[in-house]
Amino acid sequence: MANLERAPRKSFNDLIYDLIFKNYVWQSIFRTGYPNTPRNQMLAVATNVFLHLHPTRIHRTHVKITHTYCLGGLSFFMFLGLTVTGVLLMFYYVPSVERAYQDIQALEANVRFGQLLRNMHRWMAHAMIILVLLHMMRVFYTGAYKPPREFNWVVGVVLFILTLLLSFTGYLLPWDQLAFWAITVGTTMVGSAPVLGDESKFLLLGGFSVGPNALIRFYTLHVIGLPLVISIFLAVHFWRVRRDGGLARPL
Amino acid sequence: MVSRAAAAVRTRPRREREQEVLVWPDLVFIEFISALIFSIALMVLSAMVNAPLLNRADPDTTPNPSKAPWYFLNLQELLLHMEPAWAGVIVPTIALVLLAAIPYWDRDQEGQGVWFGTKFAGRLAIFGFTAATLITSLLIIWDGSLHVVWTENIIRGLGLNSDFSWPGGLDWFRNLRGFDTGIPWDSLGFTIGGFTMFADWRAIPLGIPGTTTDPWLLNLNFPSFLSQQIIPVATMVGLPVLFVLFCKALGWIHTRRDIALLIFSAFIGVYLTTTIVGTAFRGQGQDLKPPWDIVVLEE
Repeated sequence: MANLERAPRKSFNDLIYDLIFKNYVWQSIFRTGYPNTPRNQMLAVATNVFLHLHPTRIHRTHVKITHTYCLGGLSFFMFLGLTVTGVLLMFYYVPSVERAYQDIQALEANVRFGQLLRNMHRWMAHAMIILVLLHMMRVFYTGAYKPPREFNWVVGVVLFILTLLLSFTGYLLPWDQLAFWAITVGTTMVGSAPVLGDESKFLLLGGFSVGPNALIRFYTLHVIGLPLVISIFLAVHFWRVRRDGGLARPL
Repeated sequence: MVSRAAAAVRTRPRREREQEVLVWPDLVFIEFISALIFSIALMVLSAMVNAPLLNRADPDTTPNPSKAPWYFLNLQELLLHMEPAWAGVIVPTIALVLLAAIPYWDRDQEGQGVWFGTKFAGRLAIFGFTAATLITSLLIIWDGSLHVVWTENIIRGLGLNSDFSWPGGLDWFRNLRGFDTGIPWDSLGFTIGGFTMFADWRAIPLGIPGTTTDPWLLNLNFPSFLSQQIIPVATMVGLPVLFVLFCKALGWIHTRRDIALLIFSAFIGVYLTTTIVGTAFRGQGQDLKPPWDIVVLEE
């Protein structure tokens, strides 16, 4: 006997849904359907290279805003934003003593949204330092550095230092009076180190005072050297958060 | 033998499923919203406030005051009160090493995952932060000789003595360098038997003649060494110790975590105070000034 029951007619919404999420191309990219069922939601996290930084499920206290205030995540978000705005800034900037300052002036005056771009980069850099500091305070006051997370705290301290160095190397690039003298003061402090002071200062500046060599060194460190190093430490930091069991919880 | 980390995971009570939420959507949503809020806030800030751009760099024109980026102004502030090697390199290095070493010293797993996990944590944090902020401010005021200016102004202002000035006998208490310049070191030499000790405190011979060529080993300027090295370092080591002893006497400290809480909070207080003073209260010649009186001159 033939089955007389017919499939219910699809509504318009279902048609659209199938069109978007059940076609060959979408499923080649995301494998799972739209994350509207618990199964798909877990798969969405587990099968996505960016989201699989997270576990698929976490303890409910960890999504309370007041537990972390999102500080670590926001620090990383600042890093991403600084990378994007930084790459855009590189289009308009040449790190030579002759051109650096006028490039910044031209960026502000002639480039559409150029001033906004530069402002974003600068304020994000300040925000990142503040957020990293606050994140460190959050981790400390919640006792989240305790075993088994000792080493990740050390990685965090290294990340803090790298954040300061990234900001410091970027500070010279506009080649204005503020930049020049701030770096002069900063590197003079390095030069006062007891044993290798003068040598470290020379290594940093490529000379005895802030000049063309210092500019190209700071630029190279700022746009590629330090970002590479901090990316490695970030990877370790995030990996260890997962490996050590996510956020710290009371025993 | 199970490693400590493995033991920590093993002793943790098994999570109950009903205590858990799905990362998508519960966490991803929060991350998305917070990123959105920050993007918008920074966009608005950037639309309203321009990043500074002064004149083109000119090695021949020094701005007064010259300042490092704001996050290093705490170190530049220290630089005014002690030997540059301590302020610029040794103190920050030691501070960072100690910071990184906290978890290797405070190993108890108790009290993790909750804000201010011990009984007196809140008090220790508030006390450490407040006391450190106050003491640091007072020390900065003292080393800036503001107490001298204020005393003179008050006594003159009250009409007690219209040409009052800080008494010469108290010159050593004008500021930190007062210990160097305000004490008659030359007359402080003494003799033991027939042997004269340190008639010249400013050139105490340390090196053995003919054995070393390093000039810094040869003569020690004791008054300068005292004011630029001994006193600052003794203060930086002594105050935290006093803090711990004081809170122990109050019965607030029971574990290493408590000590860490106290010292870390005090560190944050000092860090903030020196950063703020260095940023907003240092004018020409690095003199203490209210923020509205600070102008930058190019010389």
